[in-house]
Amino acid sequence: MSEHFATERLPIRSMLDIVTARHAARELCERLGFGKADQTRIATAVSELARNVIQYAGEGQCSIADDSQGTHRCIRVCIEDHGPGIPDLEQALCDGYSTSGGLGAGLPGTRRLVDEFEIQSAPGATRITIALIKRG
Amino acid sequence: MNTAFQRLQREHRAEILTDWLQHLAAAVDRHSPHPPGLDAQRESLFDAVLTTLAERPNAHDFMLDPDSELGRYLNRLVTEQARQLASPSETVGSLLALKQRLARALLALDLSSDAVVESLLWLDRLFDALSLFAFKAFVDIRERLITEQSLSLLELSTPVLKLWHQVLLLPLVGVIDTLRARQVTERLLEAIAEHEARVTILDLTGVPVLDTSVAQHLMKTIDAARLLGTRIVMTGISPEGAQTLTKLGIRFADVVSRATLRAGIAEALLIVERRIAPLNSERQL
Ligand SMILES: Nc1ncnc2c1ncn2[C@@H]1O[C@H](COP(=O)(O)OP(=O)(O)O)[C@@H](O)[C@H]1O
Ligand SMILES: [Mg+2]
Repeated sequence: MSEHFATERLPIRSMLDIVTARHAARELCERLGFGKADQTRIATAVSELARNVIQYAGEGQCSIADDSQGTHRCIRVCIEDHGPGIPDLEQALCDGYSTSGGLGAGLPGTRRLVDEFEIQSAPGATRITIALIKRG
Repeated sequence: MNTAFQRLQREHRAEILTDWLQHLAAAVDRHSPHPPGLDAQRESLFDAVLTTLAERPNAHDFMLDPDSELGRYLNRLVTEQARQLASPSETVGSLLALKQRLARALLALDLSSDAVVESLLWLDRLFDALSLFAFKAFVDIRERLITEQSLSLLELSTPVLKLWHQVLLLPLVGVIDTLRARQVTERLLEAIAEHEARVTILDLTGVPVLDTSVAQHLMKTIDAARLLGTRIVMTGISPEGAQTLTKLGIRFADVVSRATLRAGIAEALLIVERRIAPLNSERQL
């Protein structure tokens, strides 16, 4: 198996960091041989999650990793923050639930966009990991 | 503790400071206006540097703490210079000018050679740290300034084009945030009223990512536009973008969507009962 691309760690502190993060995700996705549709999926998902970090936690960070194994290509993105946390995950993952007057489609939509979706949240620690996988 | 620098601080502070400030006034400030308070800022930095040199041991692993007095003064000065659009080499250059003067003063003190070497090494280390810090701070600040400027440029570049009688085109390009969305909406509503537009084409070809926040902004713009009696034709959503929007569960209600701007224009003209046809096909109208 060839070597992995280096993991990128990016701060999420401003609107501009959202742009940087989704760029980086799209780029790695492309380098891993994913198609246009997958690149758009991951960029949009990262955009959603990073925006939530800015909006609800103030700041956080994001790591973008090549998690390919064997012939499976995999891009894995982990976005975490030390904000207030999400008290009721089930509710937050419901379409239309928003505490900010938003569309409430970010979390549930992101879950539908990606192949793997994992969320852990407690006061002071929210971590969402998403992945796209392409079996080769 | 470093006794050599303590002596400099006690006996030569004023003369080194004056020499440094005069040098900067002649060499650096010539190119740019000398803002009020700059000398006072430089003096604060100067004292913080001398104090650090005199009070701290010759630390091999010295790192400049951004929250220390020295870090704060340096940061303030660098910020000031970055705003004046000075070059980073000027900022670092003025630090090195100070280092040179301190080294010279040190050598004039008539110390043991051990003490000289020790003190010069410490001086070197401290100024390495200061220069790196200044350079990094400078680049950070400039980057931020540039981003702010380009963002506000983007905000200005939202033309609403009159495409045809009662047909408007709004090409959206770039990042749509709350502020920008508000400006776009305002501009569009004015144009709709002014031109009594019946159709507005919203072209999203230049919007990099259509996430839920962008979608919500667009929905608000569309709702407001519709209240003024215009139909909306949306164009430029890529097939991948459309697929993603569907997965996110987003629908733009009552909006005609066309993949290309060309198809969108044809659709818009249809709504105002016009069409683009070859010159010789008038009969068919
Ligand atoms: N990182 C986070 N920290 C705290 N709360 C969050 C975070 N991300 C999402 N939430 C909560 O989950 C809700 C749903 O999020 P989302 O689906 O993105 O919808 P929206 O952002 O439109 O409200 C938010 O309104 C917010 O209350
Ligand atoms: Mg959201």
